[in-house]
Amino acid sequence: MAIVARIFQAAAGFLSFPGANAIPFWGFTEALADKPQYPGPLIEATAGDQILIWLMRNYLEPIVEPISITFPGQENVLVRKIPWGPFIYEPVKPQYAAGKMISLTNYLDENRDILVEYSFIASRPGIYLYESGTNPEKQVQMGLYGIIVVRPVGYNIPGHPNYKTAYGADTNSGYDVEKVLVLGEIDTVMHNNVVPNVYYDMLDFKPDFWVVNGRSFPDTINEEQISSQPYDAAINCRVGQRVLLRIVNAGFQNHTFYLGDLVGRIVAEDGMPLKTQSLDATYEKTGTTLGSGQRIDIILTPATPGEYYLYDREYQHLVNNDQFPGGMMTKINVR
Amino acid sequence: MPEINLWAKDGYLSTPDGNSIYFWGFAKSAAGPAQLPGPNIIARQGETITVNLHNMLAEPVSIAFPGQQVTVEGQPVQPQYKNNRLLSFVNYAEPGGTVAYTFTPSHPGTYLYESGTNPYQQVPMGLYGGMVVRPADYNPDVPEYKTAYGAGTDTGFDREYLLITGEIDPDLHQAVENGKPYRVSKYVPRYWTLNGRCAPDTMLMDHVDYLPHQPYGAMIMGLPGEKILLRYIGAGIDNHPLHPHGAHTRVVAVDGRLLRNGNADLSYKRFTVLVGVGQTYDQIYQWDGLGYTPGNPIPTVLPNLRNMGVGDAGWTMWSGSPYLGVKGDIPVGVVSYNEMGEYYFMLHSHEELQITNWGEFPGGMMTMVAIYPSLAPDIGVIG
Ligand SMILES: [Cu+2]
Repeated sequence: MAIVARIFQAAAGFLSFPGANAIPFWGFTEALADKPQYPGPLIEATAGDQILIWLMRNYLEPIVEPISITFPGQENVLVRKIPWGPFIYEPVKPQYAAGKMISLTNYLDENRDILVEYSFIASRPGIYLYESGTNPEKQVQMGLYGIIVVRPVGYNIPGHPNYKTAYGADTNSGYDVEKVLVLGEIDTVMHNNVVPNVYYDMLDFKPDFWVVNGRSFPDTINEEQISSQPYDAAINCRVGQRVLLRIVNAGFQNHTFYLGDLVGRIVAEDGMPLKTQSLDATYEKTGTTLGSGQRIDIILTPATPGEYYLYDREYQHLVNNDQFPGGMMTKINVR
Repeated sequence: MPEINLWAKDGYLSTPDGNSIYFWGFAKSAAGPAQLPGPNIIARQGETITVNLHNMLAEPVSIAFPGQQVTVEGQPVQPQYKNNRLLSFVNYAEPGGTVAYTFTPSHPGTYLYESGTNPYQQVPMGLYGGMVVRPADYNPDVPEYKTAYGAGTDTGFDREYLLITGEIDPDLHQAVENGKPYRVSKYVPRYWTLNGRCAPDTMLMDHVDYLPHQPYGAMIMGLPGEKILLRYIGAGIDNHPLHPHGAHTRVVAVDGRLLRNGNADLSYKRFTVLVGVGQTYDQIYQWDGLGYTPGNPIPTVLPNLRNMGVGDAGWTMWSGSPYLGVKGDIPVGVVSYNEMGEYYFMLHSHEELQITNWGEFPGGMMTMVAIYPSLAPDIGVIG
């Protein structure tokens, strides 16, 4: 058991999309790093680790509204706050002002707080979202979200029964190649309004870019570090290897992630393995529909070399500025 | 080796509100009409099949077979590029050209086939169809072997139906017809289809001559207690929550994969199935009549005829009697569908806008399950 401690700030930055002007966004950044990230920094832990997230005031570039982080699927999240307290950990809870709920969880007020600390034990292996819990209809869409991968004890120890498994021995989750794919979407009109703090009615939400790991195709398969979008979505494997796709829908729309002509086995849903000691409930699919906030772990084993596209089967999301190909699409190269 | 020929062509769809909509579809022959959905492909597990696509449209067209390992000229299908830009997910036929896809289905089940070229436009335009792969031991004359997934898989059925969902945005179709640009971001479906038809046309028989481009009906017909296999395919680009009235369905397979691991039966009962795009669901519907027997009185008091609302002309599903196979009085001027005193249960999208034709109820993604007192054995056969 270890402590995984990260110091985050929220900051404004710019995103790059094929054929579009730079789009303003809000993202989490490791404190003192120069750029906010979309999605936020990947947090990796081993089951049983204590995860400590310090959300720090950004003195240089505050986003001028309270910010917070929720951890869907994690239990017993505790909070401390500096300098006004609570000083001793207490369970996170929704926050109210004048009888109205203003945040799903304890938040950082950059006018008075220096940092808020969230702490929990990552008790179960799986893939999880972290995302803003304050004005989430705005802040999550603006980019304040990221992924936590919790691996079973022994996943990195050759010979250990849990070695290279997503959920431990005997869960049908053994893999050779692992890839996290985070789905989402961007409404550029909204982004261009929110940053200069112009009111935007979320009922008008209409995305025009669809992303995997914060990028639209063909940027998804570009290995280059693209400023604030560091995570590519290309997958490389050899014939016969087991490829673990850890797909998370961080967006507000449902997306049907399609495996091209490949067939995958769904081994976990929402961080829960489908195979237990008494029942193997894993199942095969050519594509799967993820509701907003849902996660799924799929294992595919390509049998022939070549290229395959993986994409949102809702074909209207495979465009950039109405031009195919683009959007929520990536590629697996099988050698 | 079975060989199937499909021609990609254009044509006009008919909607019940009198619209005529330009579309692209697959035809069975060079001279035959383009149809929506494309011709049903019936294949057999383990038997190699070749599908020849003849492209009579003015742009490249292809067919992707999700879940199959397809080869063209002996090589696995691969994405195609032009000027370094992705043009097609799989090998395609140029205008006037032909491409032959060969594959050997390894699993029985229900599958989709659809264009893999400019799919954001070609799939909504109508270039899709359904494929049924019979298990290797399939034999419709022996009940034990009349199954969706093979003997011993508890997927036996008496009758079977394909229900393929789709949507139509008339603006897209008009733009394509007139060679005008179309902005995908403006996609707004106005019609929702089952087997290419909108209600009430969904309830017409197969191959009626006034719907030459929409040959497949979507009427589900069976007898009390029969196992009716419903094969859903989500062919459009929207998800649709479908449910039948009268009984729950038991989902036995998804995407052509039996829901069973070893001895563990993973099938499950559902009231509504969210038909995800590009996905398939095999389910068994069994209406046992809540204790129905021909002589059993129904345990409810029926309202007096004067107190009943009766549907518009052409929409009355009430036979005038609560007993299966019996007809009674219905108001003067009302036409009843019930030729044999059969029972009707709706099967429809639970997104209510989708059971309209351009906003007018009833219509759209809706059909009926009809339970008859007797029925010919050749009803409910997928051909
Ligand atoms: Cu209903």
